[in-house]
Amino acid sequence: MKVKLWGTRGSIPSPGPETIRYGGNTSCVGVTLSDGSMLALDAGTGIRNLGLALAAEPARLHILLTHLHLDHIQGLVFFAPAFRAQTEIVIWGPASPEASLRDRIARYISAPLSPVEVRELPCDVSFRHCPEAEWEIGPARIRAASVAHRGPTLGYRIDDGDSSLAYIPDHEPALGADIDALEEDWISGLGLARNASLLIHDGQYTDEEYPDHIGWGHSSLSHAVSFARRASADRTLLFHHDPMHTDAQLDALGLAARERWMQAGGAEGGMELAAEGAEYELPARAASAASAT
Amino acid sequence: MTQKPLELILARNLMSALSTPAFLVDEGGVLVFYNEAAGMLLGKRFEELGTVGPDEWGSLFGPFDESGEPIPYDELPLVVAVRNGRPAHADFEISSVDGARHRVEASAFPILTAHGSRGAIAVFWPAGSSNGAGR
Repeated sequence: MKVKLWGTRGSIPSPGPETIRYGGNTSCVGVTLSDGSMLALDAGTGIRNLGLALAAEPARLHILLTHLHLDHIQGLVFFAPAFRAQTEIVIWGPASPEASLRDRIARYISAPLSPVEVRELPCDVSFRHCPEAEWEIGPARIRAASVAHRGPTLGYRIDDGDSSLAYIPDHEPALGADIDALEEDWISGLGLARNASLLIHDGQYTDEEYPDHIGWGHSSLSHAVSFARRASADRTLLFHHDPMHTDAQLDALGLAARERWMQAGGAEGGMELAAEGAEYELPARAASAASAT
Repeated sequence: MTQKPLELILARNLMSALSTPAFLVDEGGVLVFYNEAAGMLLGKRFEELGTVGPDEWGSLFGPFDESGEPIPYDELPLVVAVRNGRPAHADFEISSVDGARHRVEASAFPILTAHGSRGAIAVFWPAGSSNGAGR
């Protein structure tokens, strides 16, 4: 399984000279499975560059949406494969009692917010609510579970052979809870992240910023590190960077995260900040931690 | 490890912050949590008791009707809520570990999601006590 980060920013795109290294595009992660199948995790503005990189391939791809906040779907109408008649796109996402996934996404892909409607997309697009039970895409087993965030929100786990990726970009597991003290089965998202080869997890706020954002659905640095430790993931990438954080501030946050991780007994190289453009090849879990390329 | 559904996790988090006695069962009727206020009412903290199966918890603390007879398990609001997916309300007496009787009103409601039932919550409103030990 190969992973490439196409957008690591949260909330709103934040391009500019101060965000060049960690990137300004919003959430999107490309996953290439062992048989070459392609998945996109979320469709923030980062998916535009993913679409451009795909050229005319592949004919079929899956987009797994964690939720429908704009920073996770904004790139859909700028995703080049959606405008190719030969492409089949399957969009997965959370169910809601209010409306179907298609109808909820159509609120964005419709006038006056969009120049095209869902029905006008040239590609063959379908929408599916994620089932509770594990399902398969190509050689991978996919699991989705609701996690603590605002509104119906999923985290995903993708197992392909012996390697596994857990993707929980918007997550506040410490809301009203002490995740250092709770039993493991009572921690939001931990069942997805446990023993993952690579965990991509919300790390939006510094510890100093978090008290002013309790209940906003995101994690502080300390909470993210605690969650990663409880999950025993081989490697963790802190993701969904706050749009106000510059590269220099993220450097400092990354240093603090690594120090906190090591103090908690984490392995060297097990904690870092997600940077747009970074690529990872996930080895089997018994081998060494995910290697950056 | 089986991950608890998010709805139960959030319910427990909320209940932990309440001063009102509250009980939480999963979709199978297993008592998976009650808060500190409920522990004070019962005279036993949840951490001391742990999870209790659906056939056991109903008899641990009563409950009793006005004539002092045990109320059938199937008629308890929490059981009605989790089995029928409907809210339920009742008043009855419960017995704490020291033998004191507490008259309570109980309101239970199901936790329903797009994927079906996750369980139910019951909130107790102490209405006095037969031996004056009400909260």
